[in-house]
Amino acid sequence: MLMICYSLYLIHNLVLLRYHLLDCYYIEKSNRMDYVNTRRQAASMRKCLFDQGYLDEQFYQLEDLQDDASPNFVEEVVTLFFRDSLRLMANIDQSLDKCAKDFNKLDVYMQQLKGSCTSIGASKMKTECTVFRDYCRDENIEGCMRSFQKLKREHSVLRQKLESYFQLLRQAGPIECATRPSK
Amino acid sequence: MRVQEGNNRMAGRDQFPIGMRVLAVDDDPVCLKLLDTLLRRCQYHVTTTNQAAKALTLLRENKDMFDLVISDVHMPDMDGFKLLELVGLEMDLPVIMLSANGETKTVMKGITHGACDYLLKPVRLEELKNIWQHVLRRKFTHREKNTNLSADDLESDKLPNANPLQAQGQHGQNSSSDNSGRYSKKRKDQNEPEEEDDGEDNGLDNDDTDPSAQKKPRVVWSVELHRKFVAAVNQLGIDKAVPKRILELMNVDKLTRENVASHLQKYRLYLKRLSAVASQQASLAAAFGARDPSYLRMGMFEGLQSYHPLATSNQIPPSLTSFQATGGSLLNRANPATLGLPGLSPLPNKSLGSNPLNELNKFQLVNLPGNPNHANLLNNQLPNELSFSNITNNALQPRQGAAAAPFHPKPISFENRCLTKAENQALEIPSSSNDIMGRDMKCQSSLYNEESKLLSFGGASQNNARVQWRQDELHESSLLLSSYLDSRVPNNNFNAMADPITIPATPTSMVQGLNGGGLNQRESVATSGMMGSSVNGLTGMTNYDSQMKQRDEYSLGVSRVQGGYGSNGCSLDGLLNSVIKMERDEMSYSDGDMGCDMYPLGACM
Repeated sequence: MLMICYSLYLIHNLVLLRYHLLDCYYIEKSNRMDYVNTRRQAASMRKCLFDQGYLDEQFYQLEDLQDDASPNFVEEVVTLFFRDSLRLMANIDQSLDKCAKDFNKLDVYMQQLKGSCTSIGASKMKTECTVFRDYCRDENIEGCMRSFQKLKREHSVLRQKLESYFQLLRQAGPIECATRPSK
Repeated sequence: MRVQEGNNRMAGRDQFPIGMRVLAVDDDPVCLKLLDTLLRRCQYHVTTTNQAAKALTLLRENKDMFDLVISDVHMPDMDGFKLLELVGLEMDLPVIMLSANGETKTVMKGITHGACDYLLKPVRLEELKNIWQHVLRRKFTHREKNTNLSADDLESDKLPNANPLQAQGQHGQNSSSDNSGRYSKKRKDQNEPEEEDDGEDNGLDNDDTDPSAQKKPRVVWSVELHRKFVAAVNQLGIDKAVPKRILELMNVDKLTRENVASHLQKYRLYLKRLSAVASQQASLAAAFGARDPSYLRMGMFEGLQSYHPLATSNQIPPSLTSFQATGGSLLNRANPATLGLPGLSPLPNKSLGSNPLNELNKFQLVNLPGNPNHANLLNNQLPNELSFSNITNNALQPRQGAAAAPFHPKPISFENRCLTKAENQALEIPSSSNDIMGRDMKCQSSLYNEESKLLSFGGASQNNARVQWRQDELHESSLLLSSYLDSRVPNNNFNAMADPITIPATPTSMVQGLNGGGLNQRESVATSGMMGSSVNGLTGMTNYDSQMKQRDEYSLGVSRVQGGYGSNGCSLDGLLNSVIKMERDEMSYSDGDMGCDMYPLGACM
């Protein structure tokens, strides 16, 4: 009689233990899944950016250059790009407002901006820069203004996307962290 | 700007191309960062800057700090092409251009300005992995050229200067001179002889003197002799003129093929300079009128003749003769030489040999005292001269430098003599020379003061290009300059030139410092504008460089000029030498003793 009780107790504990372990397993699994999900999300976002033409092969180069020596290289460069391009675009804005006919100056600015875009691999922006420069060459101020508006939109869209992308990457974090139990 | 010291420079060199030291210049921070990382990935040693001015400063600080320069084409503070030229001229480093713009004409422009490569943005890692070839290639090229040179190691940077003279004469007669083998083609890209020839010049001179019997008396190229020479050359045709045949035609005793060869080289350089200057100075010439070149020249020559007593060697005559050939310009040149020399005062860089120094002093003195008198004379003759004298005066004054003071007494007489003669000769100046004069003036003026660097010619000389004029030319230019210089002359303080980079776009930058009379041949010519700012005495090269930048044509480079000064200014003998040197100077400023070296013709007594 006593034996039966005792064994029942043991079995009960075992079952509990098993469930407990299972819980742990599942929790951990979900953590991993989160991590995996995040990573997966980031990857798909990245693929999207390429597929939709926001980024081109140059971006691959940037990623290649990221290594242990410079672990956040891509993000640093991209941040630098957006900061610098904002400055350039402000100059262009000013130039368009004040001396609307100074096409040379506009062209110079746009050349700089285009150079930056190519270095990053910002494909759509680069295309728009070319369009702008064509309008400059033709001295078509209307065209320039239109093109510049479009350029600004492209710029902010790309910025949002890339910021989200980097955020995801940061969330995903390094792979080692994912294996730690959340508890 | 992030600067990484090349601590492991030596280490890097051993494992070339690993550790190759690259200087990257780009105003776009994104691109610069990318370039930096890419280059590091190639295991190069990278220094970056976003300002061309800083880059130049870095390069000038220590010529041996970098192996290669990569520069963007479109930069706000300085045109990439200008930077390219300057680097090529001064440091003779390979430069790679970088741009998002891949139009053929832009690429062509880059190559003609001397870039060894032109990369398109976005630049790829594979492309950067191969850029070391340009460094290596340059090393080999120099090495070949310098095989005969006793001096110089073949380490790349110093190589280019194999033989300034030769380089010039390479087009025609490499064989003609002993040194032909020795001289390396300075830079195919560059039109002007590079100043880099410091080393080479020494080598050249050494080579000239050593092998060809140092004991040989110097050949003095008298007017007569030079006339014969020119006649012979014209008869043969400038392209076909070989020393051997020239010698035969001239039929002069005791003249060796070597003498002729070196004279030919100088002559060629001179011609080249003239043509370059002439084209630019057309307006200037007009301004000056026909004055002077002829009579200046004559005057100079005369002066030189009279100068003989003062001068130990007859270097002047040769130069004069060469001038004669060219017409007035020579005269102009000669003048500066005589006049300018005083101003030359030893160049900071170059060590003036005792001879040169003396000579320089002589010259200096000549100018100083003579200036007032000279000025008068000049005035009559040429405004240039006047200006020149002014300049010289000014130049000289600050320059007083070491030897200047003691020599004063002598120069005056000399100068006066020269001047007088010049006046007499005034009539003879060919109109063409005017051009040259103008140019020379400019050049000379620029040369005039190495230290003062660019005197703004005030539009007199639009030539920026050929600073190469030697003292003689300098003289001429200085004359022109002098008028302008007056305002500028104060520069004598070499240190002044503050802003190398931003020299105003004055057309002619006269080197004010040229006290010496034109060591800065090169410089003076180049900037015609009011380099006023520059006038402040660019200290040495920097200013000069900046001027040069503006000028584009500063083939001589500051370093050269400075070197040249030392040598040029120094000796009366050197006057001629200077003339000749002008040609040579471009190549090699290195030697301090200009006077002697100037004319390897040996003593033609």
